[in-house]
Amino acid sequence: MLTSIKTNSFTNEGQRLGMMYYRVAVILFGAQLLMGLIAAIQFLVPGFLFEIFDFSVARMVHINALVVWMLYAMIGSVYMMITDETGLETINIGLGKIAFWILTVAVTIVVLVYIFVQVGAGTEESIWLIHEGREYIEAPRWADIGIVVVVLIFYWNVFATYIKGTQTGIMTVMVANLLALAGLYLAGMFFTDNISMDQFWWWWVIHLWVEATWEVFVGTLAAYALIRLIGAKREIVEMWLWIEVLMLFGSGILGMGHHYFWIGTPEYWWEIGALFSALEPVPLIAMFVHVLYDWGKEQGAAHARGETASVITNGPAMAWIVTNAFGNFLGAGIWGFFHTLPQVNIYTHGTQFTAAHGHLAFFGAYATILIGMMYYGVQKANGIERMKMTFKTKMGIFLITFGVMGMTIALTIAGYEQVLVERAELGATWNGFFVAQELAWYVQAQTWRTVMGVVTLIGFVYLVWDLLTIGKKTQEVEA
Amino acid sequence: MIDAFTDVVPSFFGMLNQGPMTLTIFLHTVIILPMFWIYKQEKAKLEGK
Amino acid sequence: MANENLSVWTSIPFWRRSAAWVTGFASILLIWLTFDTLGQISMGTDEDLKAGTIKRVPAPTVINYNIDYQMSKKRGHEVPIIGAKEPFFGKEWSVEEAAELLHLGKLTSQSKNCMNCHTLLGNGAYFAPDLTKAWLDPMWSDKGPMMPMTGKSTREEAMAEFLINPSQYPTHARMMPNLGITADEAKGLVAFLKHMSSIDTNGFPRNFSKTAEQFKLGVSHAH
Repeated sequence: MLTSIKTNSFTNEGQRLGMMYYRVAVILFGAQLLMGLIAAIQFLVPGFLFEIFDFSVARMVHINALVVWMLYAMIGSVYMMITDETGLETINIGLGKIAFWILTVAVTIVVLVYIFVQVGAGTEESIWLIHEGREYIEAPRWADIGIVVVVLIFYWNVFATYIKGTQTGIMTVMVANLLALAGLYLAGMFFTDNISMDQFWWWWVIHLWVEATWEVFVGTLAAYALIRLIGAKREIVEMWLWIEVLMLFGSGILGMGHHYFWIGTPEYWWEIGALFSALEPVPLIAMFVHVLYDWGKEQGAAHARGETASVITNGPAMAWIVTNAFGNFLGAGIWGFFHTLPQVNIYTHGTQFTAAHGHLAFFGAYATILIGMMYYGVQKANGIERMKMTFKTKMGIFLITFGVMGMTIALTIAGYEQVLVERAELGATWNGFFVAQELAWYVQAQTWRTVMGVVTLIGFVYLVWDLLTIGKKTQEVEA
Repeated sequence: MIDAFTDVVPSFFGMLNQGPMTLTIFLHTVIILPMFWIYKQEKAKLEGK
Repeated sequence: MANENLSVWTSIPFWRRSAAWVTGFASILLIWLTFDTLGQISMGTDEDLKAGTIKRVPAPTVINYNIDYQMSKKRGHEVPIIGAKEPFFGKEWSVEEAAELLHLGKLTSQSKNCMNCHTLLGNGAYFAPDLTKAWLDPMWSDKGPMMPMTGKSTREEAMAEFLINPSQYPTHARMMPNLGITADEAKGLVAFLKHMSSIDTNGFPRNFSKTAEQFKLGVSHAH
């Protein structure tokens, strides 16, 4: 079974390294789901692993594994496409491989410290060695510096190859966007006693990643994938890409204002955050239209030429990318817009509404397309011409999507109850919080969330099983 | 229509924030207006060829 | 060849230039706004507090003052009110002492990972109560249950005692775990919470003061 990921017919070293990143990404994805499940159970059974493996630890590993597996899959995807786009072998790929191992060893140590050390004393050493205690970017300072070094090596690989090779529009956006993405991480690497200042810069990393640079990254990947998977025309894809960059950065950069409503920052952010971030769904609609339009157009052109076969050369990857088009708009766009206006956000800020949005947005906008790219990697690894969906592919995509949608709806209901009872009625006091948490409707919602989490986990098992076997199976069919 | 300044510290952006959406509409306008100029230039280029 | 049929709307250079302009200009605006905001959210000084100058984020010595959270007609939402001086852990803290205590408290809040259960200024996890105005929570007032439960006579001492041994003072089935917080760290954390409650959060959380008022009058939603 495992032979299918070992035998590979990659035509360049970049793709081989990309596949190494994908493997670690899948393992971390699994860790993320397990930790999420523990945290979900702790909502229902408060004594579960109490003072052994507390919610704060499970939650920290849950969200860190998420961020790190996505970054791994993103780096992997860049290596996957770099030779195709530039027409060159990745420059200094050997250095890139060393960086991969350094990063992987560092990530392993960080996770082990999270799990076994958990908390430290209130000293600078804890921030340097254990974790920084800042949601999403908890990595201790030593690891921060390590990440910067590894990312610089990765960036050198990409930049040097880009400069020497063919400079396509896709790669131009990729290179510029990656520089911003990597540079923004520096904004999260200092300590301050001022909590308002702390959160101000914290959002520079988190928001400008997930609502600006990561979204542009997804646009770039989708552009590349459409050319590769359905033979879309480069001129059309690249025109759409520039439109997406325009709208994503136009709304996303100042859309940052919606995080500056209540952290001590001036009132003028209300207006800036409201309208700019309200426009954030617009590019997501554009991306959605673009994917489906190109698919229909290419298929129509093929029919006109008298071809009967599908234009899709990789069924599973295309299925995940179409899921991305829907999921990005629904999760990031609609669920984000739900609570982006200050008039609404003053009540929803810091409730399960945010968790609902977070689950569907990270899944819809990022997990989907990155999984799609992994299938593309499997196709290349096995030198397959046309890869079709298997039963396991379908089970994976259905169960994961259904599970995440279910969790999102459950959390939205929980959030709605929390907003009305805890926030509107009881004013966010300690007592108000627990009254809302213990209400039957809230508990029911959390129960459904846990059930749907299990569904997601089963879907994940199918996904991994499929990724491990689909290549071999397709090879046999072709032979 | 024009509200009195209410925020803690007066500032340039605070001053522009003078009631319903004044600040954000102003910012959107200054971002979008130059695109007309880019449009005209590109149109001239296309027609000139 | 005349290109009359070509539209600017499908021209890559038009979209590329527009994308570059919008991205560049939005970034410049964000940087400008950042400078403006940083000036407004940097901590005030002890002199500001003495002179009664309102700062969005007051100096660490704000722990020497009574803090309240009241509806402001002018602002249209609740704002922190810094009142008369009151002792904090039985004394008045000098500028240096207060800064040091807040530093310890902020460090502890990160190293104990508060944010992955609680929310601070509304950001974090959603497993435990929001801490933005925790200092002002009626649970810790002289009418609330926590002072008698911990056997302490002041708000700050009750909070510190709870933080040192949280699972000894359960209020609900969902409890705070023991995180090995020392007596000094607990003092620091309480200072951090008191300081956070003095930050002007533009009225977040809304309704908090109304509920706190009801609680004082004996109207409770507790089971």
